[in-house]
Amino acid sequence: MAHFDTEYQRLEASYSDSPPGEENPLMHVPEGAKSQWHHIENLDLFFQRVYNLHQKNGFTCMLLGEIFELVQLLFVVGFTVFLANCVDYDILFANKFVNHTDSSKVTLPDAFLPVDVCSARIRDNAFVIFVLIISGVFWLHRLVKFIYNVCCYWEIRAFYINALKMTMSELPYATWQEVQARIVEIQKEHQICIHKKELTELDIYHRILRFKNYMVAMVNKSLLPVRFRLPGLEESVFYTRGLKYNFELIFFWGPGSLFENEWSLKPEYKRGGNRLELADRLASRILWIGIANLLLCPVILVWQILYAFFSYTEVIKREPGSLGARCWSLYGRCYLRHFNELDHELMSRLSKGYKPASKYMNCFLSPLLTVVAKNVAFFAGSLLAVLIALTIYDEDVLSVEHVLSSITLLGVCITVCRSFIPDKHMVFCPEQLLRVILAHIHYMPDHWQGNAHKYETRDQFSQLFQYKAVFILEELISPVVTPIILIFCLRRKSLEIIDFFRNFTVEVVGVGDTCSFAQMDIRQHGHPAWMSAGKTEASIYQQAEDGKTELSLMHFAITNPQWQPPQETTHFISQLKERVHREAAGASSDTHPLSLSESEPRSLVANLLAGPSTLTSIHFGHDSSLTNQAGLSDGASALRSLSPNSGSLHLRGSLNAAHTSTMSKAMAGSGTDARTVSSGSSAWEGQLTSLVLSEYASTEMSIHALYMHELHKQQSHGELSRHTWHRQDSDESSDSIPDEVRSEPNPRHFPRSHTFPTTVPSPSAIPTSASCMSSTTLGQEGAASNRIGQQGFTNSSSDSFGARGRVVKSARGVPMGGWAEEGQAARRHHETLPEESSEDDMPPHIHKIT
Amino acid sequence: MNCRSEVLEVTVEARQVEEAMLALLHTILLHRSSGKFHYKKEGTYSIGTVGTLDIDCDFIDFTFVRVSSEELDRVIRKAVSEFKDALSNSGSDGMGQISLEFYQKKKSRWPFSDECIPWEVWSIKVNVVNLANEQERQICREKVGEKLGEKVINVVEVINRHEYLPKMPTQSEVDNVFDTSLKDVQPYLYKITYQITDSLGTSVSTTMRRLIKDTLAL
Repeated sequence: MAHFDTEYQRLEASYSDSPPGEENPLMHVPEGAKSQWHHIENLDLFFQRVYNLHQKNGFTCMLLGEIFELVQLLFVVGFTVFLANCVDYDILFANKFVNHTDSSKVTLPDAFLPVDVCSARIRDNAFVIFVLIISGVFWLHRLVKFIYNVCCYWEIRAFYINALKMTMSELPYATWQEVQARIVEIQKEHQICIHKKELTELDIYHRILRFKNYMVAMVNKSLLPVRFRLPGLEESVFYTRGLKYNFELIFFWGPGSLFENEWSLKPEYKRGGNRLELADRLASRILWIGIANLLLCPVILVWQILYAFFSYTEVIKREPGSLGARCWSLYGRCYLRHFNELDHELMSRLSKGYKPASKYMNCFLSPLLTVVAKNVAFFAGSLLAVLIALTIYDEDVLSVEHVLSSITLLGVCITVCRSFIPDKHMVFCPEQLLRVILAHIHYMPDHWQGNAHKYETRDQFSQLFQYKAVFILEELISPVVTPIILIFCLRRKSLEIIDFFRNFTVEVVGVGDTCSFAQMDIRQHGHPAWMSAGKTEASIYQQAEDGKTELSLMHFAITNPQWQPPQETTHFISQLKERVHREAAGASSDTHPLSLSESEPRSLVANLLAGPSTLTSIHFGHDSSLTNQAGLSDGASALRSLSPNSGSLHLRGSLNAAHTSTMSKAMAGSGTDARTVSSGSSAWEGQLTSLVLSEYASTEMSIHALYMHELHKQQSHGELSRHTWHRQDSDESSDSIPDEVRSEPNPRHFPRSHTFPTTVPSPSAIPTSASCMSSTTLGQEGAASNRIGQQGFTNSSSDSFGARGRVVKSARGVPMGGWAEEGQAARRHHETLPEESSEDDMPPHIHKIT
Repeated sequence: MNCRSEVLEVTVEARQVEEAMLALLHTILLHRSSGKFHYKKEGTYSIGTVGTLDIDCDFIDFTFVRVSSEELDRVIRKAVSEFKDALSNSGSDGMGQISLEFYQKKKSRWPFSDECIPWEVWSIKVNVVNLANEQERQICREKVGEKLGEKVINVVEVINRHEYLPKMPTQSEVDNVFDTSLKDVQPYLYKITYQITDSLGTSVSTTMRRLIKDTLAL
């Protein structure tokens, strides 16, 4: 062979002058690697970074932000140490006098201790040194991380500029959907992922959210020990950042974790054969990690304070609502998160729900406290008034000892008291508020509806929406509690965890191992009580609770209109959209609310949409007899006006007028398939359009979420409450809704919520007035039989919900998976999908899931 | 990982291990090698020829085709014999896995070393059996031959699929895609690694590396 080769080379050299025609057939042109973006090794990390850079508004912003954080940390630690050790407070408080030669004034530098005294004091204090060492390590860690990140993100920046053709300056104004569309586009050209020719949106989401999806699913299936029933107390939730970090450490990336690398579960965990042994191993690992946590407790505590300080500032930056007294708890974020929902989507949803949620919580101020607070505020206020008046008369009053501090204290006292006094203009209508909240947060337990006025509901809601003070307190005690939870609660669940990962992991080509719930497959994980009746084949173990699969699916389909779901899923989506659409159609043709209240309960949603449609038609000058789409979009805009940041509604109103055509197209995505929505407005077309669309998407999702909850409720209650429907009407006055408001919609000249955002709770401004009442009625009747679910339900109101009749059957016809059946032990070939091979291997021994 | 992976499984007798491995590895490499590139001035290149060779196995009823490059053969033989020794020394039930990984290099900037990014990994799982008498050995000889034939067809099917291959490089980049150290043939960059079953778990070093990487990640 070597011989041939050399001969060829010589020939070539001698023929270099020959006519080109002879050589051409043998010539090749190298394509070369034109871009460096083909075939990226770790796509998970890559997409995560692309997403992060987008969320941080570009490279420069991120760089500056991180540099400032580093400086801030130094400053905070240095300043604290300085204040604690290097200031002579006696001088500052004028307990000790300094003898100055030139003037009698005390200057600030006088109060500072000399450098040598100062450093000696620091050196003698072991605790200060300990804190300094830890924060030094922390700072170095952040510095190294920062340098590493700069290098990595520089590459991502180049990717944005060269491959995606987006400059850093336009990045803050581009939506993620746009960026994503470009990534999908360039895959065809660069082949970032080598397994497939084309990437889908779902692939990208899967990769970014791989572990988060697992966490959401585990919380959904109540696998993680985050709820505790302490003796003498109600059930409480304890889920902190430290705990979350430990969970992730154990499951996903720590040494000996269940995952081999970012994208694949270790093969032994995919087989059911030695699950007991694996569970033992996991249990002992949890034990060790728990002990390590216990030993490192003080270090973690200091670390946590530093970390909390910084992530807290970051949270404030990100989330406008977080400056208030409450915040969405970590558990709430997990509970409310859809599968495949990115951080910014969740954040915007929760931020929109913030106002109504805090209003709802404020409904429950204790009257006793209110009385006390009112009086304390009165006395404090009068003292304050006198002091201020005196000060205004002669400012020498201020120099009297403690006058200034008492003014400050009284001010604080009044502020605190005021927070216990309810707003004079607030009306107690928790049911409506809860419904508005639901429109944004999309999930809530069944038994809340109709029980919104009860204290238990409020308490449970406060698990999702807790006081910020409680949040910080929990974070602080977390280093102590975390090891206890790990050692005593999580360890007991190790077998369930092993089973969970085996049963609910699927290998997707081009993505790797993902949580099977995140596939959002109705057939595998649908819940018959949530509209997927007849379509789902899931056993109880496989069903996602709270309609998570269905709602996630709708959410994903709506936020990513370009996504092409599998056949059955498309069917489900279009069917649902059609229904919502039809309901809306019924609503706009049938504008008299009184007649609505007498009709079937199914028209509740119609009512929900119809109520505002008459209103907004006045406001936006829409002809109410336009088309169905107009009615729906009006409903949507009214719903949108409920969102807290309604200041910009005028702008949006005009957008609405300008984009009615796009809008109606978007809303009417029902009959045809979801792709028609995008056809009019591909993300390339323009930022405005996509922004408008994404705003409408959230509204559309709200409508769908409400509709699905409504339907779910009806399915659960069934016939039972139907008989008492009308009779209960008279009791509705309890909800403080005047009858005439309900019966005559047109002459309403109340200020609408968007003009006077503070008056939102006035019942007329909320489109749900009638539906709210009806749900109370239902609730009173059916609270006890809340979860009778599909069994208790026989085909009641026929026409529009044909699917419901099939529910009972499907509940029995569960497939072989999960623990429905014992030992179909045939272990399959290794290369088959882990889901298939695993589900029959060994039924997990979990018997209580709800 | 962003790479294809194919798994082949064979069950052989101890003395057949070497030949079976050679047969499979050579078959794959045959399809993943090309002639030497000769670049011309205008940015075009021509490809040298590659000869093939039929190899008869001693312990298996099987003949396979390999690239007729002694150098390549030497490298493969060395790797396989190491694998065989490790397998026989392990003393346990004789399970092992040899993987042939094709990768491409990517130049990185200063703080990082060049990345080797695999795009295709072939893992051959070997199960060694002990046979009692001569008759069984005869049967095994034929059966393994048949099995290997199937595997070869399998390999060819996989390779015939239209899937990702690194793009043909320009002269300056040829080292990032092809192994140019051999005189007479130019396979894609490859790496042969093996594992004996006992050590199938992830090693400490990879865990540590990941731990450090993860703490650094944002």
